[in-house]
Amino acid sequence: MIDGSETGGLNRRAFLTTGTIVAAAVPLAAHAKPGERKMEQATAAMAESGVPITLRINGGDHRLTIDPRTTLLDTLRERLGLTGAKKGCDQGQCGACTVHLDGRATLSCLTLAVAAQGKAVTTIEGLAAVDGTLHPMQAAFVDNDAFQCGYCTPGQIMSAVAVVHDGHATNANQIREAMSGNLCRCAAYPNIVAAIVQAAPQMKRG
Amino acid sequence: MADYTAPVPVPGTNMGKADARIEGRAKVTGATQYASDFPVTNPAYAYLVTAAIARGTIRGFDLAAAKAMPGVIEIVTHDNAPKRADAGFFAKGGYVTTAFDPLGSNEVKFAGQIIGVVVAETYEIARDAAHRIVVDYAAAPPSASLDSHGAETVDAAAATFGWKDKVAGDFTKAWDAAAVKVEAGYSTPAQHHNPIELFTTTAVWHGDELTIYEPSQFVYGLKHGVAKQLGIDPATVTVVNPFVGGAFGSKGIMTPRTAIVAALAKSLRRPVKLVPTRTQGFTVSTFRAETRHQVKLGADKAGKLTALSHDGWEVTSRTDDYKVGGTEATTQMYAIPNVASKVRIVRADRQTPGFMRSPPEVPYMFALECAIDEMAEKCGIDPVEFRRINDTQVSPVSGDAFTSRHLVECFAAASAAFGWARRNPKVRSMRDGDWLVGYGCASTCYPAHSMPATARVRLSPDGHARVQIAAHDVGTGATTIMGQIVAAAFDIPLAQVTVEMGDTRLPPGPVAGGSVTTASAGSAVQAACDKVIARFGNRLPTGKALAAAFAKLNTGVVEEYAEWSSAKSGGSVARLYQGKMGGGGGAKPILAYAYGAEFVEVHVHARTREIRVPRITGAFAAGRIMNPRTARSQLMGGLIWGVSSALHEATEIDQKRARYVNNNIAEYLVPVNADIRSVEVILVPEVDDQVPMGAKGLGELGNVGTNAAVANAVYHATGQRIRDLPITIDKLIV
Amino acid sequence: MRPFTYAIAADAAAAVRAATVPADAHVRAPVQLMGGGTTLLDLMKLDVMRPDTVVDITPLATGRTGNIEVSATELRLGALVRMSDAAEDAAVVRDYPVIAQSLGLAASQQLRNMARLGGNTLQRTRCNYFRDTSYDQCNKRNPGSGCAAIDGFNRLHAILGTSDHCIASYPGDFAQALIALDATVEVLGHSGARSIRFADLHRLPGATPHVETSLAPGELITAYVVPAGPWTRRSVYTKVRDRESYAFALASAAVALDMDGITVRSARIALGGVATVPWRAREAEALLTGKPLDETSANKAADAAFAGAKTHEHNAYKVPLGKATLVRALLAAQAMEL
Repeated sequence: MIDGSETGGLNRRAFLTTGTIVAAAVPLAAHAKPGERKMEQATAAMAESGVPITLRINGGDHRLTIDPRTTLLDTLRERLGLTGAKKGCDQGQCGACTVHLDGRATLSCLTLAVAAQGKAVTTIEGLAAVDGTLHPMQAAFVDNDAFQCGYCTPGQIMSAVAVVHDGHATNANQIREAMSGNLCRCAAYPNIVAAIVQAAPQMKRG
Repeated sequence: MADYTAPVPVPGTNMGKADARIEGRAKVTGATQYASDFPVTNPAYAYLVTAAIARGTIRGFDLAAAKAMPGVIEIVTHDNAPKRADAGFFAKGGYVTTAFDPLGSNEVKFAGQIIGVVVAETYEIARDAAHRIVVDYAAAPPSASLDSHGAETVDAAAATFGWKDKVAGDFTKAWDAAAVKVEAGYSTPAQHHNPIELFTTTAVWHGDELTIYEPSQFVYGLKHGVAKQLGIDPATVTVVNPFVGGAFGSKGIMTPRTAIVAALAKSLRRPVKLVPTRTQGFTVSTFRAETRHQVKLGADKAGKLTALSHDGWEVTSRTDDYKVGGTEATTQMYAIPNVASKVRIVRADRQTPGFMRSPPEVPYMFALECAIDEMAEKCGIDPVEFRRINDTQVSPVSGDAFTSRHLVECFAAASAAFGWARRNPKVRSMRDGDWLVGYGCASTCYPAHSMPATARVRLSPDGHARVQIAAHDVGTGATTIMGQIVAAAFDIPLAQVTVEMGDTRLPPGPVAGGSVTTASAGSAVQAACDKVIARFGNRLPTGKALAAAFAKLNTGVVEEYAEWSSAKSGGSVARLYQGKMGGGGGAKPILAYAYGAEFVEVHVHARTREIRVPRITGAFAAGRIMNPRTARSQLMGGLIWGVSSALHEATEIDQKRARYVNNNIAEYLVPVNADIRSVEVILVPEVDDQVPMGAKGLGELGNVGTNAAVANAVYHATGQRIRDLPITIDKLIV
Repeated sequence: MRPFTYAIAADAAAAVRAATVPADAHVRAPVQLMGGGTTLLDLMKLDVMRPDTVVDITPLATGRTGNIEVSATELRLGALVRMSDAAEDAAVVRDYPVIAQSLGLAASQQLRNMARLGGNTLQRTRCNYFRDTSYDQCNKRNPGSGCAAIDGFNRLHAILGTSDHCIASYPGDFAQALIALDATVEVLGHSGARSIRFADLHRLPGATPHVETSLAPGELITAYVVPAGPWTRRSVYTKVRDRESYAFALASAAVALDMDGITVRSARIALGGVATVPWRAREAEALLTGKPLDETSANKAADAAFAGAKTHEHNAYKVPLGKATLVRALLAAQAMEL
């Protein structure tokens, strides 16, 4: 577990050394208490540095400072070295960036990293057991050749796991609908369905 | 009937093992590194500025707001872009998708042209700055497409290198004499590959050494093209791209972006990472151009075809004469003695088109296979039977024999599995509740090509092996197949083979295009394995005896490098080492095609005309099948691609502005999981000793015929002949 | 995406206060409330929306705003309920199938997980001339600049409720269910709470297509209230699209029927995919009231629903398709076994 610092030291860098970012995370309360900063002041105060955030990812806490514009996807990929989630459209159209937020399949490209605080983020890197044993869904994808180029695969698998957990894997048609937010341009769809059908009962047993 | 078919077929005659992909674990754990996944130290982020007009000039830029933004490092336009040499249009012997330098002047030649690049400390800043750049254009009315005012039509034979229109016999005489005639026009739309992986480029300099991480179907071509554009020694350029996140032709030829990014990284003394948007991907790389066809088919009363005329029109750019020329396939498809054909290209204000999965065959075979269906109906003959009686084992154009051709056998296998006999030939005769049901079929074909390749193979005394080749796995299973070739040659488990590909530090392999990888790269790997075995007196021991044999040779490992090229297919290894695809001599090529028969069932809603495809069946004869599991997946993907092309895919063009309108993956539709139900792939055993490795290639075979099969099935269901793809609700609801 | 201040709303009043800033239209307001963010962030990345403050209102989901409440007289859907939760709610599925279907047939599982009901009805058009800021002409994005869609590629554009200034279609599904069922919208604003008819939420483009709703700056949708009635169970949402799933409607119809045998006591009809705003087809309803529902009457109603359609170069097909979709929905609702 990594706690208290960025991973992916290879692309760690001084953040925003050259400029200012107007950015802040400000809690707005109905009745501002005396002495509490007003938003404008907070904005100015944080303008030089970005926003410090803590993300809980695959069971470990990561503290970093980010531009509030940064998506969860770009934070995972560009800051934390977790490149399993993929950028395929960056507009919520392809599903390649799918991760779990508190267990729900979520598009990390349309999620601000600042807004993912306080939620449990699970990525494809967090799915296999610590000893390397594949999650039943991962194993089923290999068994059923449920990918070709493999680029959409992390998103497919994250959705597939959620499909089973959500109770959407009762029949093939339901699986197909629930998986339709994950485009596979190689068109491995029938094999993806076969993989989910294989993995679902194993997940229930596990 | 099973709702879906087993993903792992039992190998038949002349097939290898149905091994699981050796990179499977990496792909399901997120460990596979695609180009933009490689970590680089302290990158600057590039964001493209693209043209909002299709034709005209740029009077100037207002960069003030963008430049004033903290974190912006550099903004380049044609005014200050780093100089790059012309590396030439690939179809004229160069390296690039276009000879046009988008940052070479203030000229705008197509909408979406790169007209500037912002580099900033973060992606977020670069994107914001790019949006704040104001461009002052002097716009001129563009010619958007085939029918546009100002578009320029020229004969492909005159404009493009090495193209000759196919003719045979006396078409005019045969057409005049034909008892039954079909004459029809067809069209196919512009399409974009839309691999899910974006067209990223990361450039890193270490002194004078450049490393590029970029999705590529041809890393040696990229290496040499970039070196030429930057005027540097190719030996200093490394391209790293072990896995490609889908390509389908879009990553085969280098685009202008790479040298721009590399030059920026050099001048900034810092790695530069470019991740273009999905929308920018519609114009940063190539596309499949829209085409139009005029087909005339003549037959005698017995249904024997006597005459074929196939004229094609294809869009290209103002800057480069690109053509696909699919009459090569259509004029040799059936026993038609009298053939006329002509291919024309139409220059419009668009980016230069390029390869997209089965570039010539998809549009041209759509036209032919629809016309065949129309002719069969006119003759009162079942379309399967019609294709049987017009089958040929020799090319009617050249008279040469095909190395092998089992089209009729494919139709027999597929029609039986599909249940074609249940089809009532009358249109609008079959129904399932509110849905009209139609069955349709079509032939598919793809030529068996090969290109020069080299490989290095190493065997260790413990029975582990490593194969190195700068070939590419775009999802085809090539990594696994290279491993299987080594495992079979040395009689070792596949798990003991390490495969390294997609990296210019390895011996050069062929472009992952034209479905050549198995035949070409496989031949080189086999040759290297053979040389290793030769070191052991051509008898490689197994198990413990292997270590003893190594001891006898007094060597730690045995490693051999091999070069392979086919005199029959042309091309030279020397040119491959310069990053050139094939070409360069050779004897008369063999006439080798893979064939298949494709059947679809379509359902069209009686009221609202939604079109769904619950069943697809394809049977294919493509020589030796190296791995039935990955082969099935490739063909299945191809069949689905064909359905996608038939029903969904069209890049819509604003005809007034010559701009792509649905330039995103929400409105450029491809099938989602719910669109696809039963897909059955039948591998028809075929032995062909004349093609390298005995294998004809599968990557492009699957998606050729499905367009027409769907169109023919829609006709059967509805009585409506839709001759313009894609077949959408708006065309059926009238 | 422009820099912005990210703020978290601890309660609804705080959100409203933060967002109550002078602006000529809420969609261009400098402060934007963010629920699931699936439209807002999408459009911010495209530089279409440029707020300087984004107020995250998801913490409000802990209260009533995050709940589904069913009573004998009404269904109350909190604005921060997720689309997926509402689509699968047993009571909604059973008693208000048109609502469940409109949500379940929208978007993808991930987007349904993320998007909240409050923002859902405010999702903005998919017109590419609006979404791509490099087009100079878009009255919705850049008032007074013209409309590129009218002489551009307009296959997906509206045929009902258009103006000479805008033909962008409303892309949502859920809104059609709400307008058909005579829902009301509970709104919290600077001056307190108010309730408006859902039918009054969206504004026709007219000469001001950039003003899309009747919400005042800062106003927050807190809930939708759907009155119960004998028609809600006999209700369907029929959505016709180019592919089986994850696509916007070419045409859709929300239908709720109160039947007396084969005779229509009352019909509630809304159309999607074909109009600039959620579209109630009252002429069609009137034609059906008190009449037997059959192929003929359904066709007459459909003709009436599209009598005012105005088509452009690529979207004329939406007239026959819209009619066929409505007929299909009417007959499907009639055929429901309750």
